[in-house]
Amino acid sequence: MKSRSEASVQGVYSTLTLLAFGLIFGACSPSENSQIGSESESILSSGKRITIALIPKKKGLPYFTSCASGAEEAARELGNVDLIYDGPTDGSPEKQASMIEQYALKGVDVIAVSPNDPEVVAPAMRKAREKGIHVITWDADAVTDARSYFVNQSTAQAIAYGMVDTMVQDLGGPEVKAQVAIVTAYLTAANQNIWIEHMKARMADTYPNLDLVAIKPSDEDQKLAFKVTQDLMKAYPDIKGFFGISSVSFPGAAEAVKQAGRSGEVMVTGLATPNSMKAYVQDGTVKSVVLWNTAELGYLTVQVGAALANGTLNPGDEQFVAGKLGEKEVAGDQVLLGDILVFNQENIDQYDF
Amino acid sequence: MKTKWFSWLSHPESLLSCLTLVMLGWICNVDPTFLQWEVQKELSTHIWETALMALPMTLIILTGGIDLSIGSTMSLCAITAGMLHQHGVPLPMGCLAAALVGLAGGWFNGWFITRLKVHPLIITLATMAAFRGIAEGVSQARPLSGFPKSFTWLGQASWLGIPLAGWLFLGCLALCAWIMHGHRLGRYIHAIGYNEVATRYSGIRVNRILLGLYCLSGLSASIAAILFMARRNTAKADIGVGVELGVITAVVMGGVSIFGGRGSLFGVCLGLVLIHETREFVSWHWSRDELNLLALGSLLILSVVFQQLLGHKRSS
Amino acid sequence: MKDGFQGLRLGKWMLGLLKQRAAGLFCFTFLALGLVSLINPAFLAWGNLRDIAVQAAPVCIISCGLMLVLVLGEIDISVGSMMGVLAASMGAMVSATRWGLSPWIAVILTLILGTLMGALNGWLIAYLRVPSIMVTLGMLTALRGVTEVIMGGTWITDLPPGIRYLGTGSWMGLPICLWVCAGVIVLSTWLIHRTPLGRRIFAIGSQPRAAHLAGLPIQRVKFLVFAWTGFLTALATLVSVPQLSVVDSGIGVGMELLVVTCVVVGGTSVSGGTGHLSGVVFAVLLMTMISTLLIFMKLGENATYWSRAIQGLFILGAILLDHLVRSKKSS
Repeated sequence: MKSRSEASVQGVYSTLTLLAFGLIFGACSPSENSQIGSESESILSSGKRITIALIPKKKGLPYFTSCASGAEEAARELGNVDLIYDGPTDGSPEKQASMIEQYALKGVDVIAVSPNDPEVVAPAMRKAREKGIHVITWDADAVTDARSYFVNQSTAQAIAYGMVDTMVQDLGGPEVKAQVAIVTAYLTAANQNIWIEHMKARMADTYPNLDLVAIKPSDEDQKLAFKVTQDLMKAYPDIKGFFGISSVSFPGAAEAVKQAGRSGEVMVTGLATPNSMKAYVQDGTVKSVVLWNTAELGYLTVQVGAALANGTLNPGDEQFVAGKLGEKEVAGDQVLLGDILVFNQENIDQYDF
Repeated sequence: MKTKWFSWLSHPESLLSCLTLVMLGWICNVDPTFLQWEVQKELSTHIWETALMALPMTLIILTGGIDLSIGSTMSLCAITAGMLHQHGVPLPMGCLAAALVGLAGGWFNGWFITRLKVHPLIITLATMAAFRGIAEGVSQARPLSGFPKSFTWLGQASWLGIPLAGWLFLGCLALCAWIMHGHRLGRYIHAIGYNEVATRYSGIRVNRILLGLYCLSGLSASIAAILFMARRNTAKADIGVGVELGVITAVVMGGVSIFGGRGSLFGVCLGLVLIHETREFVSWHWSRDELNLLALGSLLILSVVFQQLLGHKRSS
Repeated sequence: MKDGFQGLRLGKWMLGLLKQRAAGLFCFTFLALGLVSLINPAFLAWGNLRDIAVQAAPVCIISCGLMLVLVLGEIDISVGSMMGVLAASMGAMVSATRWGLSPWIAVILTLILGTLMGALNGWLIAYLRVPSIMVTLGMLTALRGVTEVIMGGTWITDLPPGIRYLGTGSWMGLPICLWVCAGVIVLSTWLIHRTPLGRRIFAIGSQPRAAHLAGLPIQRVKFLVFAWTGFLTALATLVSVPQLSVVDSGIGVGMELLVVTCVVVGGTSVSGGTGHLSGVVFAVLLMTMISTLLIFMKLGENATYWSRAIQGLFILGAILLDHLVRSKKSS
């Protein structure tokens, strides 16, 4: 237990420390107070240097790293762009929102975010817009009033339909009856949940022969995705297809099918970068991988961000010239990247990301 | 003279104050914009929930216990309020229900600990999974949003330059400080941490105090959940994942002994400041999230190593 | 005749288990198993049981080390992040596009690295007397950062067959990781029951002051136990990570929680001094079985969202049953 003298010593410390805190904050405050706002204004009007913050859903995923390499290329080509690439390493939406708030305070010109959870991130994005910062989304969309443009590689619907269509094709056509299962990231993962909605709709409308028997979370853990797939194959012996709808669950699911010796008999498809799936595509476990050109996505995002900051892209434009990519279509408030890529045995070796 | 100097430094609080001051001074040199009041005020919104939950956690760890379930309790409370709101119940009623759920969760933990004598670590590990599981099940993992403007306003409003959540924290801090220093309960809490059996035999109602503390912890989690909802305008089953780790880090960094009996609220506040400023500044200045992990981990280890080395000097 | 005799011995062994601390857990595991087998007999197929054992093996290996840490009255929550660092460095070592070392050297270096990280923990805890929760909490965060730095934003996708063999190969019909796990269990049993070190660990955990007065080398024992845990973590990494073809940066996230849950549900006292290996092994089996059980019960899509709640209730049930069995025994 604390003695009286110790307690009073503590009291002295608290007072001293609080005083010191006050001094430091006081000393730093007044001189710089007006800087943030005015600085970004002046940059905007003169069009000199532009700072773009590119925020991925989760830093450290090869998917986003390859997007970032494209973004860096665009920044180099444009010359006047300072690119910041940072995101939560654990993929937490709350941390992502905090980062947006930080960049807004720092006074960057453009915040390009791939929202991990549109709802959680939206208030922070709106706040940033109120400060006069251009907020755009890329890779995944947010609530529409929270951003000015969406750099759209494909809509949630197109991705979901693409995966279901690929599966049906791999299984041998719409008349084949088959049980399928989805291995998702987290049960609460916002993007995956939207895809699942659309996938269910597609199966119900177009492919009544597909029977979705289970949706299982893998908690972004390859090991768990592996285990869950293994268990599903045993619990449902007739299962014919797996969707690995995150870049972690896809290789896990494919490995489980391969080790069970059912390559070619049980189909696996999903979203992943070609490098992590090359081995499975070559040995036939996976027939096709759905994705888009990630480096071009990053490139286009930075181009759009810079154009917004320079004032060369305005609402109502229908075309947008994006550096080496040439003209891209603008549909309302969406800049379209182009088609989905499907990697298979023939073409997967041409891609390295 | 020299021994006195060291004995002064061997208090975790003084070491932490020095560390914090040195760091703030350094930041002031490197990037003064970071320390502007406006910036700090905005950034502080990231810490209030953790800070609020750190208070009961301090008291619990002082008794030698721990509560790992606060993050999950948070999600359960948020889902309660969100679901009720979606079914047309006015939001204040929903928040009240959330508070009750938080209390019930804390009571559940406390009941196992005091009645069945299950170790707090074990039971809160179990409820950590169970509460989040219930939240996921009830909400079907869907987000609940669309709260009224007046509610989200709570998350942004400030009074006298400090966000409302900050005032709430200061109020709770004052209350806890009074309990710890101005009321006999504070002595009992320290006593339980030192020697629970002896305390029991001295006629103090240990069980009642413990039960109360765990209820308090659940309540604080529910308040944190409401703050989160107001700030992010969303209730979802995945909020508060890993929050318990942040809270416990702040508490042990503040010099509270994990075995109970030793530590102070002032130290915990310093721990919170240090962790918050480090985290925010690293991503502010370097924009590399992986550095953040490195910095926080090493800061925790270094600060305790220093405490230990200096404390050692004093005793030898 | 001989069979009957063996059956008797088996029965006796089971009775012996029932008397132990792990009794409640034991009943609970078998109750759950029986229930699911009734619903879906496919659960008891050899292939499935083997897969469950393979999933449990790495958890079991680490738990054997962590149990000793808890018996000492300390804790180590850095094992998950350690696993991440070890997996990343192992991957970087063998990957042809990075360092391209031979698998043998990589295995040895990984084991050394794991032991060193455990030894660092142990040194800070034993010789600098920093509370273990703080050291390992710091490591939990810091090592995750190290993993990200090693991976550098890309994954390792080209593990050579030599290292994959550790995860996918089998010897005498059993996967390698089961052999390793069995070896670790036997070694730990021997360590606990037959060596002075084992007795010292229990002595220090139950009465630190008395152990100190009796002249036991407390610091050295603590140091060794933490280093041993680091070694076992490396071993677990080596047999579990090559089961997959891709090394990502999220390996081992949440592992510490799973392992601590297994060890404490298995009846190891959090305040030190008591612990039974059998209880821990059963707890590991139970914990890895739960999610498989849920899949085999085919509860339908709605139940997907309740699976975490059911897992939590399982743990609660195990705790309650354990409590009931113990209170019966003491009365």
